[in-house]
Amino acid sequence: MSTNVFLLGGFQTDFARNWAREKKHISAMIRETYEGSLECTKIKPADIRAAFVGNFAAELYCMQGHLGAFFVELDPAFKGLPTCRYEAACASSGVAALSAMAHIQAGLYDCIAVVGVEQMKNVDSAKGGDFLGTAAWYERESKGVEFPFPKLFGKLGDEYDKRYGLKAEHLARIAEINYANARRNPNAQTRDWYMSYDHACGTGQYNPAISGRIKVTDCSQVTDGAAIIYMASEKFAADYANRCGISLDALPRVLGWGNTTAPIEFAVKVDDSQNDPYILPWTRKAITDAMQRAGLNSCWQLSAIETHDCFTTSEYMAIDHFGLTEPGKSWQAVEAGIIAPGGRLPINPSGGLIGCGHPVGATGVRQLLDAYKQTAGTAGDYQIPNAKRVATLNLGGSATTNVVFIIGFDR
Amino acid sequence: MQRQIQTVVVLGASGTVGSLSGGILAQNGLNVYYLSRTKEGSQKGLNRAIKQARSEAIASRITCGDYDTLFEKACSEADWILECVAEDMAVKKAMYEKVDAIRRKNAIVSSVTSSLPLEELPKERSDSFRANFLSTHFYNPPGKMLACEVTGQSQTDPALVDFMIEFLGQRLRRVVIPVKPAAAFAGNRLAFLLFARITELVRQFGVEMMDYLIGPYTGRLLPPLATIDLVGLDIHKAILLSLQNYTQDAMHNKLVIPAYIDSMIAAGRLGNKTRANGGFFKKLDSGQFLYYDPASENYIPGFGPHIQFVEKAKNQIRIGLYRQAFEGILQASGTEARVVHEILATYIAYAYSLIGQVTDEKYGIEGIDKVMSSGFHWACPSLLVNMIGGAERAVELVQSADLAVPQTLRTDTTWEKYYFNAGKYFIAG
Repeated sequence: MSTNVFLLGGFQTDFARNWAREKKHISAMIRETYEGSLECTKIKPADIRAAFVGNFAAELYCMQGHLGAFFVELDPAFKGLPTCRYEAACASSGVAALSAMAHIQAGLYDCIAVVGVEQMKNVDSAKGGDFLGTAAWYERESKGVEFPFPKLFGKLGDEYDKRYGLKAEHLARIAEINYANARRNPNAQTRDWYMSYDHACGTGQYNPAISGRIKVTDCSQVTDGAAIIYMASEKFAADYANRCGISLDALPRVLGWGNTTAPIEFAVKVDDSQNDPYILPWTRKAITDAMQRAGLNSCWQLSAIETHDCFTTSEYMAIDHFGLTEPGKSWQAVEAGIIAPGGRLPINPSGGLIGCGHPVGATGVRQLLDAYKQTAGTAGDYQIPNAKRVATLNLGGSATTNVVFIIGFDR
Repeated sequence: MQRQIQTVVVLGASGTVGSLSGGILAQNGLNVYYLSRTKEGSQKGLNRAIKQARSEAIASRITCGDYDTLFEKACSEADWILECVAEDMAVKKAMYEKVDAIRRKNAIVSSVTSSLPLEELPKERSDSFRANFLSTHFYNPPGKMLACEVTGQSQTDPALVDFMIEFLGQRLRRVVIPVKPAAAFAGNRLAFLLFARITELVRQFGVEMMDYLIGPYTGRLLPPLATIDLVGLDIHKAILLSLQNYTQDAMHNKLVIPAYIDSMIAAGRLGNKTRANGGFFKKLDSGQFLYYDPASENYIPGFGPHIQFVEKAKNQIRIGLYRQAFEGILQASGTEARVVHEILATYIAYAYSLIGQVTDEKYGIEGIDKVMSSGFHWACPSLLVNMIGGAERAVELVQSADLAVPQTLRTDTTWEKYYFNAGKYFIAG
């Protein structure tokens, strides 16, 4: 990295909350997240030089656009603050964080608040599924399809099955691990839900097939939630560390990043990869770019991964694409317990999108916040001991937008 | 003694509390016997537990049976016998006698009761029964309300109470509140006093207005009279009678049961469990709600209350301005505002006055806070103190309602902490 960009921490809302049932406007979510973050980080309003808001589809869910402007509503001191809203489907706040990093590296701002926010529970599942369909090529992949994304990520599983073989039991184990991890995360949506391997393996009234091989337990959640992370220049981080009485070396920073955009149609992605060992080569490239920028030559130099398990198949994909196994052999890491807590490279100690929840536009920042917590040693009951480097993979659409960060320390 | 719990018997598993509490045990990997008068009743309980877990998989951990055929085998195997039978002293005592004859010497026996005197329940039982007897008061529905009050009686082995506090918290993921064995423990004692006062105010303001004034915007999931309909007016009365009989404190005179409540109960207007008859509310087939009118003893249409300070508070809550909302409530004047001030003041004053009476003094307000947020989903007392601007302003509010100010309200500093996600208790509707 040419210019260091530091993470100063942040806050996420309790993803179990239903803000529609609370009859709240989306701005309340932004406000609570922001106010919680001040308490957690001791950042002051005057420290914040710009605010970037990642959000997928508030226009559809809440009839509200222009979300950057709502940051200015939070404090009279923010009148005149530069703000911007970013959209890249489920990677919306991932690209907001990339932009914040670039702005800091360009020397434009010292400290940027990056917010991710989505309110989704105010519409029924059919309407929500249709809204989510706009993250694909709507007319070609989503229009008239009841739940387009389970179908698309079911096809990812089908492609694995065709090329390498795929057993449902391995997907069930991925679901089981994510739910189990979520039980240790006090902000996870499913922390008090029941889950077992038997339940994930079974089908029935409470675990019906949604589309093809994708059952309810293979899916991430419909979630209301927001998260915020503060990103800062080295100069600002040094002052901040001094103010907090800690060493600059104790603050995690961005070690590497990767960002690619694949063809939007899933079928085109798969066709393009027929001669590639990786089914989603543009996702693989975002990962390898980040690893290279971080100076890492092996995934085993990571302490944990927070990946985009919108479905169990996408986590299955992340396992081999990160290099935990050879392409097509992700099941080996699942069976060997490598991805479970205590394993050689735990995946989603937070519970991920399946366990922690998936407020679409907030997920990228939530992942970064968890990477921060793990490397700063503040993850509480879901802390990975001595975590030094944590990777995040945030996908938009059917792995169309790929955003990877590696957060932590290079020592 | 090294204790372990792997097998549990639920007595009264056909009921809501027994079946859903038992379901939580099965969800967390315990083997559970569901016993009730008939196997079909236990099976109904199992179905309820499956619905709560949203999984048929837990059925593999639950064995259903009736008292005649499975009682002996189940109770002789059990590490823990969880009694959830009817809230009737004689029924419970008869059940304990049968259990005492079969249970293993160190088997734990607990009751879900909070309203019957705990000291009395195991009186005629063996020494080992009494040493292993305590109350584990699960809140309902336990899948959503995680609070569990725990206490022993005078003969209970203190180490058992400690063990259960740990077990319920760690293994069953309950929010455990160690309480004193006083009637209704902490949560019901506080909530039902407020309910009693609100039912008294119904005579002056009406059902619709009272639930509007003390609505979810004041820090609760459900308005109070809707909550009584959910609980059942018969249960409401039973708990108040227990509080009248077995407690004594400065607010004892507020534990009133207005005569119209007796009329409603006599007419079978118990609330949600008698939907056709109604309760405080009656929902017509058209979807329209009617409201009970104590004067005419009949149901009347709503008029849609609209009071400026209430609407303003709701609008501020909608955009996350919680403190500003409470500032407006405190600044409001008029008859309706005084009602809201009185209920808020009573809640705060009574909660702080109960420190040391229902929970150990060493917990300060935290035990009472935990049960109100995890058992009722109400903004806990210290959070309300925080919202209205701190202890000094809370003292002013209590004084303005002509209530005695507990010393603990002046000294406890819990309210000064930051309450993350506090907004979830304040509903903008």
